[in-house]
Amino acid sequence: MNTPQPPQWAKTLLRWLHPENTIEEVEGDLDELYAYTYKRTGKRQAVLRYLLNVVTVLPPFVRRRGSKTKYNQPFSLSPDMLKNYFKIAWRNIVRQKAYSILNIAGLSIGMACSILILLWVQNELSYDRFHTRANQLFRLTCSAGDFKAAVSPAGMARGLQAQLPQVKGGVRMSKPSPMLFEVGEKKVEEKRVFYADSNFLEVFSFPLLAGNVATALSDPGAILITEETAKKYYGTADAVGKTVRINNHDNFTIAGVLANTPSNSHLQFDAIIPMKTMASWNWDLKNDTWGNFNFYTYLELDEKTAASAPAQQKLLQQIGKMFKEHGEEIKIDFQLQPLTDIHLHSNLQIDVPGHGNIQYVNVFFIVALFILAVACINFMNLATARSERRAKEVGLRKVVGANRYQLVFQFLGESLLFSFLSLVIAIGIVYLLLPVFTMLTEKTLAIHLLDGKLLMSLLGIAVLTGLVSGSYPALFLSGFAPVKVLKGKMRVAGGNLLFRNALVVTQFVVAIVLLVGTAVVYKQLDFIKKRNLGFDKSNLLYLPMTGELGEKRQALKASLAQNPLTENFTVISDLPTKLESGTVDVVWDGQTTRNQVVFPSLDVDENFVKVFKSQVLAGRSFDKAFSGDSSNYMINEKAMQIMGMNTNNAVGQPLTFGDTKGTIIGVVKDFHFKSLQYAMEPLILRLNKWGGVVMVRTTAGNNEQTIKALEKINARLNPAFPFTFGFLGKDLDNLYRSEQQMGSIFNLFAGLAIFISCLGLYGLSAFMAEQRTKEIGVRKVLGATVAGVVSLLSQDFMKLILIAIVIASPIAWYAMNKWLQGFAYQTTLEWWIIALAAVLAAGIALFTISFQSIKAALMNPVTSLRSE
Amino acid sequence: MRRTYLGEFEELVLLMIAILDGDAYGVTVSQEIEQHTGRVVTFGAVHNTLIRLEEKGFVTSELGGATTERGGRRKRLFKMTNLGRSALADIQQLRNKLWKLMPDPTLKLSGI
Repeated sequence: MNTPQPPQWAKTLLRWLHPENTIEEVEGDLDELYAYTYKRTGKRQAVLRYLLNVVTVLPPFVRRRGSKTKYNQPFSLSPDMLKNYFKIAWRNIVRQKAYSILNIAGLSIGMACSILILLWVQNELSYDRFHTRANQLFRLTCSAGDFKAAVSPAGMARGLQAQLPQVKGGVRMSKPSPMLFEVGEKKVEEKRVFYADSNFLEVFSFPLLAGNVATALSDPGAILITEETAKKYYGTADAVGKTVRINNHDNFTIAGVLANTPSNSHLQFDAIIPMKTMASWNWDLKNDTWGNFNFYTYLELDEKTAASAPAQQKLLQQIGKMFKEHGEEIKIDFQLQPLTDIHLHSNLQIDVPGHGNIQYVNVFFIVALFILAVACINFMNLATARSERRAKEVGLRKVVGANRYQLVFQFLGESLLFSFLSLVIAIGIVYLLLPVFTMLTEKTLAIHLLDGKLLMSLLGIAVLTGLVSGSYPALFLSGFAPVKVLKGKMRVAGGNLLFRNALVVTQFVVAIVLLVGTAVVYKQLDFIKKRNLGFDKSNLLYLPMTGELGEKRQALKASLAQNPLTENFTVISDLPTKLESGTVDVVWDGQTTRNQVVFPSLDVDENFVKVFKSQVLAGRSFDKAFSGDSSNYMINEKAMQIMGMNTNNAVGQPLTFGDTKGTIIGVVKDFHFKSLQYAMEPLILRLNKWGGVVMVRTTAGNNEQTIKALEKINARLNPAFPFTFGFLGKDLDNLYRSEQQMGSIFNLFAGLAIFISCLGLYGLSAFMAEQRTKEIGVRKVLGATVAGVVSLLSQDFMKLILIAIVIASPIAWYAMNKWLQGFAYQTTLEWWIIALAAVLAAGIALFTISFQSIKAALMNPVTSLRSE
Repeated sequence: MRRTYLGEFEELVLLMIAILDGDAYGVTVSQEIEQHTGRVVTFGAVHNTLIRLEEKGFVTSELGGATTERGGRRKRLFKMTNLGRSALADIQQLRNKLWKLMPDPTLKLSGI
């Protein structure tokens, strides 16, 4: 063959750059032209022409030939194909019942879990956002050193509003106080009664069902009650104009009925009384004081200030300056706390009760995602493991002309079908579990399916779950080469196996971390409960001195002392669960600078040390024998350290508290008078001259008789007021409610995560055992024992769980350490907790696998080997 | 009736395809153009025009006969479609009509 050939490099260039669908003809044409020119004009000319021609058929000069489709493919989403997809999906579901049940159960439980958690999270995040100007409302809070409190002085709201143009409105709220309500025969103590300024309803958006918004809180003899309260007393919501007697003393006219407080409001009240009423007897209000921190102040800022942090800083500086100008020497810093931050971001003392914790919200949100992920992983795993069964179908569809997208669409559609089926079941589960969950979280959660937003997010979850869980099987299955699949048995690729193993490991990592979390939360709670508080909390009953008990103090004391059951008692000013008074106004000898530390104080009587079983380290306790004790003080160890004294020299030192000069007569060993989330604070004990709470130490087993005795005393001395009492131990436990809740929620979801993982493991092990039936048969024929076969089948999974343990341990360790740091007193994280969780997870997994592996091992080899 | 747009070079190529009658492909078309008009055309121009004509529906093509000169590669042979034929006829008619409308002096002038 002596056909002349054009330069090779030009040809390569042509092949490389020319559009693929015309390269054959163009290359041929160019070769022919070259040969023609070569013959006519010689090589030089031919090469030149050739090069020129090549250039003209390279991009961008060349025109591309549109690829012509050979036949008209039907529209991918044609109704016929859709029908077929559904039919196939349905047949698959029905034919592989065990597999479908595992899948749908896993997915629906996972979805139900995450819906529940998300409901809770959504509720937590929605706090106080229903106010129309929520983003303009701030609470004025204060801090003195490390002591941060939610309260501010009575005079500030009006003072700031008058002088600062940025402050558009200010509302003061009192601390909630229990009051005895009396309507006709009905007498109940309402615990959540607030005093509020008359613009309360203008600043906050609590809807008033009846009554006049503008005047509702301006009349001192008026009261607003909630719908619920109105129904309780009058049996109807129409209560305006009716009278209620409060504390056996005053009659109030109901000026309006408020809608029930939304559950997602940090202010929870049953009744609101105008501040004017309180102003008739309250010293703070009468004097418009800037020195006593006793009220919650809410400020409405103008939009510009509310939106910018620098403007707020400037406002705070102005507030600080004004505070100084009012002659206050103490160094107090003020903060503006956004209304929407109060519920989740507040760690302030002297705050309204019932706050949440952003940390828990985040943790649970992540847990919800993880549980959903675990459920998706299950689905993926089972679907991939079963892919061999579908391989022939895929091959056939491809041969007949399906393209990859159609197959991807088919499999995604199938998983979407699964996820929507699961969603329906999940909603059912949520409905069933909601009462339990509401009890657990103590929240009024509800699922309203007609709510568009909720519906959208539910559908979103279903679609997301469907797409995520279907993605891998869809991409994996659709990638099968038809020739390979149809020719013979498809060997599952190594990459696929690796991916599946990684998924199993992930599942168990999540499960183990949750297990460790549960264990640590419980250990911490146990630690708190068992911690020595510095006093004996068992069998401590208390009786608040309400109504006439305060006035009849002496008679009360006498009757208590007479009764052998109640003789061991003390009168203290505040319960150690909610000690709220404190001052910086403390002077002692040797104090160099003006005091910056807040000293809480407690008024106790002579019996205090004996009843609380606390310890006096130096000096003595208050004693009737010393008449001068009314101006003497006891301090705790922490206060002693702060004052730079020690047990040898503290007693006898002068101490001025407020305006009262006195002497330190004793040092009491530190005892916890606040929640254990706070580190020990200094404490000053004064002799109680007024009253507060009677604490009675009963002897074990005598609680009921003691309560009866107290009830009798109350009925005699205080007939107008119902008898109320409490156990200090129970109150103390209640301080850790949110931790307890977190513990039980954690518990529930850890259990479910493990359950879902095990569902998947069960399916996988069933599949593995089935795949290896023949191998097991051969092994048994050759003499393998049942135990040998079981261990052979379990080995692979146990390896995965081992890896999961290794990965989960540091994650759990880190996460729980972080959580424990929130406590001033924390339990230790010990290795055995993680070991225990790991062993537990492994045990459960092994148990799950054992079903299938034992079944496989016990099978008669004859059946399995004959089957071919 | 849809109007047919045909560029000058396109018309030329279309005419060549008509002349070659079933034997038209890249090489023959370029050679014919060179021989009949003396214009040296690059292959790219011919190639692009052939594709464009086919897109417009004036010709159809199919891959056919391989020869040794082309290293065994198939050539794409082009055939006129009825649309192509009528397009050429239309142009021819239009030109004739226009020529006839021309006053004589113009022709003479051009003849000088």
